[in-house]
Amino acid sequence: MTHVDLGEAVLDHQLLDRDGRRCGKVDDLELAGLDRDDPHVVELLVGPAALRTRGLLGRLVAHVSRGHVRHVAWEQVDTVRAAVTLRSQASSLGLGRGDDRARHWVQRIPGAHR
Amino acid sequence: MKAIFSIALGVLAAIGGFVDIGDIVFNVAAGSTFGYQLLWAVVLGVGGIITYAEMCGRVAAVSKRAVFDVIRERLGFGAGLVALAGGVLVSLLTLAAEVGGVALVLQLLAGLPYRLLLVVAAVGVGVVAWTWPFSWIERVFGYVGLCLLVFVVAAIDSHPEWGAVAHGFVPSTGSGDVVVYAYYVVGLVGAAMIPYEVYFYSSGAIEEGWGPKDLGTNRANALIGYSLGGILSFALMITAGALFLPHAIAPDTLGSVALAAQSPLGVIGLLLALLGILFAVAGAAIDTLFGGAYSIAQFFGFEWGRFRTNVGAPRFTVAWAVLLVLAFAVVVTGVDPILVTEVSVIFAVVALPLTYLPILLVANDRNYMGVYTNGLVANVFGIGYLVIVVGIALAAVPLMVASNMGQGR
Repeated sequence: MTHVDLGEAVLDHQLLDRDGRRCGKVDDLELAGLDRDDPHVVELLVGPAALRTRGLLGRLVAHVSRGHVRHVAWEQVDTVRAAVTLRSQASSLGLGRGDDRARHWVQRIPGAHR
Repeated sequence: MKAIFSIALGVLAAIGGFVDIGDIVFNVAAGSTFGYQLLWAVVLGVGGIITYAEMCGRVAAVSKRAVFDVIRERLGFGAGLVALAGGVLVSLLTLAAEVGGVALVLQLLAGLPYRLLLVVAAVGVGVVAWTWPFSWIERVFGYVGLCLLVFVVAAIDSHPEWGAVAHGFVPSTGSGDVVVYAYYVVGLVGAAMIPYEVYFYSSGAIEEGWGPKDLGTNRANALIGYSLGGILSFALMITAGALFLPHAIAPDTLGSVALAAQSPLGVIGLLLALLGILFAVAGAAIDTLFGGAYSIAQFFGFEWGRFRTNVGAPRFTVAWAVLLVLAFAVVVTGVDPILVTEVSVIFAVVALPLTYLPILLVANDRNYMGVYTNGLVANVFGIGYLVIVVGIALAAVPLMVASNMGQGR
């Protein structure tokens, strides 16, 4: 049983998928059971839209971004170290979409694979 | 042998990252206004960047976090976003200044119209960033930038009064206008500690896959690289103090700086100086370009790094491309790159505390750092410099206004 401070060790940390791909930050956490003495993390919330609970600037960013909140079940979490590593591939969790869209354009330019 | 190669990261950081257009402008302006009196401010700034580069390199090697990972974790989203906005704005202004500087040097070499050369400079920086591997960028700009050593020869040949030079290493309030003097202190320390250096340095450490076994290399890079940068800064200031101050010349272009190397070494000296400035400033342009893109990618958690190829880190690629286009848009208006440089350094000073505080906090966190947590020496310097950085951050803008950007009242 190790003691983990969620605010310090999980929130705002880098997410890595199964293959080590960087696929966002832990933008917020969904907790449950706070009222029945069984507090636990249900899911990680990822994406600009998830920032609306993170103060004034977070609300602003969530407002101007049009993306959806990505919900990643806590069961998907493999390890919590410097980064939070997930058990699946980013694409299967709906993560890393922004990079996928940008890749579509970048790969058309000559020398994109250098 | 591998150790020697890995020191190259530090040499690039020193030449391309340390001696950039900000250092050239502030050291030469300080030398031609106050002679050797401000050499101590360079020592102060170099000590600061050595302290924090070592610390952020150690944090990267041990905890696998680059600077903006640390900033977001420690400051949280809101304050972190403020730090990001400041950091990216300063990187953008610095990049604009470096691109303008490259065009100015090209103009001296080729004699073509400045705006045409701005296009050449921006396209050149973009092509290098797009096609060259990290190791080439590191070595080519680092080693050709070493041509700047010609200024060490120029400084010695200018026959400065060595007693006065030695005296300059002792902090003083200076003779002359106190407000202008204080403005130069802030500018010199700020140019030495400009934040993109640590963004680039720590991200480079992660790109090179550093671990605890590389901590010796880290210390050597920070110490040797930035000390070398410091010696080049001394040389620029001493040369300017010996050649420009007695004749009351205010060198307002990079050309007059390069001319300082012509007097001892003739045309060869002039060419070496121009080549050194060109590669140092172009290298710094690439550092700044990547520094800004690293920050954005690390803050939002998307793929980053030159090692991943352009298509492997697509938003990172888009981020630096957009920064380059915006920087070009700033300088193509015709605004004086030297002016942009001064403004960028002064605003960088304002952004310094938000960059350095989280590094200090994480370097002291035993959960992250284990046995590599800051020791007494790192903390004495770290906390000391944080106090200095907060002080100059508060003073920077008022001094810029009060001193009329160093022109005097």
